Amino acid sequence: MKPQVAFFDFTSCEGCQLNKLNLENDLLDILKHVDIVEFREAMDDKADHYDIAFIEGSISSPSCVERIHDIRRRSDILVALGSCAVNGGINAMKNLHPIDEVRETVYGKDKYLFATLPAMAVSSVVKVDYEVRGCPMNQQDFLKLLIALVLGKQAPKYNSPVCVECKLKENECLYNRGMVCLGPVTRGGCDALCPSFGQFCTGCRGILSNPNLDGMLEIMTNHGISLDEAKKRMLLFNSNEVQL
Amino acid sequence: MECYSLLRADVPALIDHLGKFGEVVAPHRKGDVSYSFESVLDSSQVVLDYNRTLLPLKKLFLPPVEKLMDFSLKNMSFDPVELTTQPRVFFGVHSYEMQSILRLDHSMLSGNAESNYFKRRKNSRFVGISFEPDDFHFSESVGIAIEEMEGFDLFLNEIDDDFQLYVLSDNGRSLIQGFKQIRTVEAELSGKREFKKKIRYHYNRLPRIFQYAYKSKVWADVAEKCVGCGACTLTCPTCFCFDVTDEVSVTAEDGLRQRTWDSCMLSTFAEVAGGENFREKTINRTRHRLYRKFKYITDEEGLPWCVGCGRCTAFCPAGISLPDIVNELIQEDEKAQYHHTVRV
Ligand code: SF4
Ligand code: SF4
Ligand code: SF4
Ligand code: SF4
Repeated sequence: MKPQVAFFDFTSCEGCQLNKLNLENDLLDILKHVDIVEFREAMDDKADHYDIAFIEGSISSPSCVERIHDIRRRSDILVALGSCAVNGGINAMKNLHPIDEVRETVYGKDKYLFATLPAMAVSSVVKVDYEVRGCPMNQQDFLKLLIALVLGKQAPKYNSPVCVECKLKENECLYNRGMVCLGPVTRGGCDALCPSFGQFCTGCRGILSNPNLDGMLEIMTNHGISLDEAKKRMLLFNSNEVQL
Repeated sequence: MECYSLLRADVPALIDHLGKFGEVVAPHRKGDVSYSFESVLDSSQVVLDYNRTLLPLKKLFLPPVEKLMDFSLKNMSFDPVELTTQPRVFFGVHSYEMQSILRLDHSMLSGNAESNYFKRRKNSRFVGISFEPDDFHFSESVGIAIEEMEGFDLFLNEIDDDFQLYVLSDNGRSLIQGFKQIRTVEAELSGKREFKKKIRYHYNRLPRIFQYAYKSKVWADVAEKCVGCGACTLTCPTCFCFDVTDEVSVTAEDGLRQRTWDSCMLSTFAEVAGGENFREKTINRTRHRLYRKFKYITDEEGLPWCVGCGRCTAFCPAGISLPDIVNELIQEDEKAQYHHTVRV
């Protein structure tokens, strides 16, 4: 029997799900390997057990916690899809402010009607077996992981900086063009997408496992931005990962 | 030496003439302030005055990503790539770059020869060009003069804005056969150009420096600034490490095996099964990089494995300078020597 696969979304923009739907060319090939049993944006169907559950979005309310526990209980393999699910992503910037202030800004006087929690990575709440990084999640990564799982092989892991792929493509470094780039401490695997189009890396795939953050901040401030601004850039996608 | 004069304005005609032999590869502008070796489509676009290309010429002998074989999971079979190569002329190559190819030859062809490298390497012709050293070149300090002509078939030496063309091999002679815009002159090797960056000692004294530098304090200072991005090694013309991976297609029925440049500056480089990492700390990796350039291979071959192109320094986002590191090690050694003498 083909593996039963489901997709769920939590606190996110749902961009990752849309990114999957954009895989038109490969969608039919994917469906040869797996049965999709739950996918809110594509179909409406419920099941008791999933071989693989893909989770998009961060965990940011008590109801999210309850739901993710329920999904984990019904799933053999659980995969975090995209920055929000992997490390809290952009949502986690919320955690840099007092939670009461955040609630008031968003809900005004109705703030007591909405229970909220700090925006957490899925792995902060339940066991996560694999991850697909990026904001939105990288399509090729997603396909590679899916194929690896179907074949029962080791899933690819990325723990080399964006600079590696950037150099292999012989891009002119943005530091030579007066920009400030987070590539040196950001996990690659995106084929240096942003620098290849002249845009600096904002760190959407998360920070390396063994980074030199002080060194990175020094590079950034030596290239013309304030320490405050440098820290803000580093926190954009990684508020939960780095302590500055 | 067989020598001709060549007007700057006639260089594009020479490049077109070289095209009779095969594909011509030469430096071109890239981005705002950079250069890269590219196939010549229009000889007027070739740049004659450049500091260094982003990636070294190595990329055309040992490509950054190279498919090695196709395989089929369905039939349990594989199909190695059978490389066929065409004649190529590499035009506008600096002397340190040529020396890096000669060093790569040693790394790739001694012992078990790397067959794809060998195929790309034979049928290659090299036309050198002189250059004006910038703040980062220090090739003279590792024994490579601007006019070092070993390995070249032809060499263009800039003199008063035009060139002298030296013929250095029979292959070089046949490359310019029938080219009319040159006339015989006396060779004048200028030697006027000055290097701004220098290593303080002659390179034959460096192995001794490195013999005692293993526990130097310098490594920790460097490690504090280094972010482990790998730029220094990925752009180094004498580095050759690669990783081999298998990519299965979405049909899950076939795939390909490829090799990709790797770098000893990455924290994952020395990670092995079970999660052990025998060079986890930046300090160990930085030290290893320099020992690979000035000690380990040098002990065997008698030559520094750095050609002084300056890429590792020019392209390091943290501004870490390889010749400065070596000079600091020298200074530290001098201090130690001095203390020792005083005490005795
Ligand atoms: S542009 Fe960014 S990712 Fe590319 S080499 Fe420079 S710092 Fe690294
Ligand atoms: S370059 Fe950086 S910001 Fe852009 S996709 Fe890659 S990791 Fe994300
Ligand atoms: S380029 Fe500089 S920062 Fe990057 S690994 Fe090399 S020495 Fe370290
Ligand atoms: S170590 Fe640096 S200067 Fe020496 S050959 Fe490599 S990139 Fe060039």
